[in-house]
Amino acid sequence: MKLNGSWLREWFGKTTFGILLSLGILGALFLLDIMLGSVNIPLDALVSILTGGEVKETWATIFWVWRIPKAITAVFAGAALALSGLLMQTFFRNPLADPYILGISSGASVGVALVMLSSGFCGIGAVLAGLGLLGDVGISFAAMLGAFAVLLLILLISAKIQSNVTILVLGIMVSYISGAIVTILLQFSDESSMHTYSFWTFGSFSGVTWDQLPLLLFLLTAGFVVSFLLTKPLNALLLGEQYAASMGMDYKKVKNAIMVNTAVMAGVVTAFCGPIGFLGVAVPHFCRSLFVTADHRVLVPACVIVGGIIALATDIISHLPGTDIVLPLNAITALFGAPVVIWVIVRGTRFGRGVIT
Amino acid sequence: MNRAAVLTCTNLSIGYQNQKTVIREISKDLNLRLNRGELVCLVGPNGSGKSTLIRTLTGIQPPLSGDVVLLDKRIADHSADEKAKNLSVVLTTPVQAGFMTAFDIVALGRFPHTNWAGRLTDDDTEIILSAIASVGAGDLTHRFIHEMSDGERQKVMIARALAQEPVLMVLDEPTAFLDLPHKIETMRILRSIARSTGKAVLLSTHDLNLAIRCADRLWIIDQHGTLISGIPEDLVLSGIFGSAFGIHGVNFDPVRGEFTIPIEKKGTFALTAQKSVEKIWTWYALERIGYLPAEGEREDITVTIRKDNGNAVWELCTGTVARECTSLAELIECISACDEGDDSH
Repeated sequence: MKLNGSWLREWFGKTTFGILLSLGILGALFLLDIMLGSVNIPLDALVSILTGGEVKETWATIFWVWRIPKAITAVFAGAALALSGLLMQTFFRNPLADPYILGISSGASVGVALVMLSSGFCGIGAVLAGLGLLGDVGISFAAMLGAFAVLLLILLISAKIQSNVTILVLGIMVSYISGAIVTILLQFSDESSMHTYSFWTFGSFSGVTWDQLPLLLFLLTAGFVVSFLLTKPLNALLLGEQYAASMGMDYKKVKNAIMVNTAVMAGVVTAFCGPIGFLGVAVPHFCRSLFVTADHRVLVPACVIVGGIIALATDIISHLPGTDIVLPLNAITALFGAPVVIWVIVRGTRFGRGVIT
Repeated sequence: MNRAAVLTCTNLSIGYQNQKTVIREISKDLNLRLNRGELVCLVGPNGSGKSTLIRTLTGIQPPLSGDVVLLDKRIADHSADEKAKNLSVVLTTPVQAGFMTAFDIVALGRFPHTNWAGRLTDDDTEIILSAIASVGAGDLTHRFIHEMSDGERQKVMIARALAQEPVLMVLDEPTAFLDLPHKIETMRILRSIARSTGKAVLLSTHDLNLAIRCADRLWIIDQHGTLISGIPEDLVLSGIFGSAFGIHGVNFDPVRGEFTIPIEKKGTFALTAQKSVEKIWTWYALERIGYLPAEGEREDITVTIRKDNGNAVWELCTGTVARECTSLAELIECISACDEGDDSH
């Protein structure tokens, strides 16, 4: 017994060390994300800005208006995507599940496409414009509406079906339908709105303003808290829903909590940052390998931190520091994320079933 | 002996119900009880309703009529948490979780006993480790489940069910997919759990001869859903196995307590030997190739086993040939050769 106690302590020690280390990396990348960009702000200037010292006014403006909201958004959005990916992978027991598997981003994209693309040729856009809903806020609003419409649909249908594999197929089908609607809308829209739409699909952390930030932070923080509360049932679900239910877990309640929580986090991120891919599927795998555990008491905080790290890193790369060029964020996340997924799958054969299957 | 009942059911009728119409009643008028410290094996041919009965007894599926009572309350009246503290299961679905050690899996058994965060107290850790030890999986504690063999994984799943500290453990075909030594090992573990912890253990299995040897009580369901309960030896003597599992071309051998392939009789033998293992297996070998004991009739072949420097030697005597063989393979070959010689005449 004594031997094992010390083993446990050592294990917790390692995990705590890993968490602290990744927190350090997160902090460093946060600083870098603020410093680097088309205009690089040196560290001493950063200190001056914060302490109220003398500094170039453009730097102060860039710092307050652009960089700070962007960096905060990146951390929270990355964390939210990683967490919802983790939730979906555990719930569906599928290593390729991601935050959008329920069709959330597809719903959001239909909302956005309706606002952006229909403005040219039909009344909806005019009505929304009349309400002052066009523009960034309008897009976020439309995306959120679309995401929640899909969530409602999935919840309604899933109440009647038992198997979560069916929910999976359902989500994929909703994605196809949404894709079809968007394609049809694209067919009827002018070039400039098509351009705006495709720009939205690139994904970006830069679009969030100080006005929008509180709402984003509030909703995502709520999502994080719910995820922390779900750690125990998530661990039980690792054995499958039947075992989980046999241990006294309320499957229906947990299922709904997981789905709503995922939809809120993924929906909010999509609404404010566009559909950012790969982060959600790659980070949970990365965390499992890094911390060598499937225990959600470790994975939930790990995904929050590592999700933030990866989001910051991809954001820094996409802004190609020192140049005026901004690469599409989704291109960077895919370039990073796809190799991780390949690595996980290839390694899976050597390591037994190293991923949840 | 009147032991305390853990689970009882009265006038239970099981099956599937769709809306208000009874679609299929599998079995009815079931009056069963599971006692503390008893290992009960549920056996029956495929499609007889073993799974339905197990699902009904564990409250996953409602009965068509009648009651299942776990301890003092109907199973449906237990809260999920309360039920989990009294009843644990081992399912047939294989667990395929990556990055989980045996300890992690068994620790999940503490689910109904831990707080909202699933935090393990020192007591919990002790219970987990002793559950692992009692299935003989101590050396697996920190190994990953995906690196284990089927037998090792089954032990871990039994330890998980044990760590839940129920009064009743229900296992759905725990010996399926295992090789024979691991089947026996699993049964031994389950029986010792029942004996030493006083839990009631119910398991379904297809390994009839193993069930006959290990179970305190057998529940046999036949194809018509009739359930017969009794101690294994009584049931063997009553000849129930032959009728419950009756399929064409298979016989139940009440002496060996297992199903055998019926013998196509080729001839009769007389076997002379000391009482020994060699005698038994020579008997089996002769039966396998179609020779039955003469039992008063005139025998076609005579086999005598004698020891030569501690090694068995078989003396074969047929009408035409007399030979000494040093192995059963040689003996069988000689007999077959004689058969072919006879056929050609």
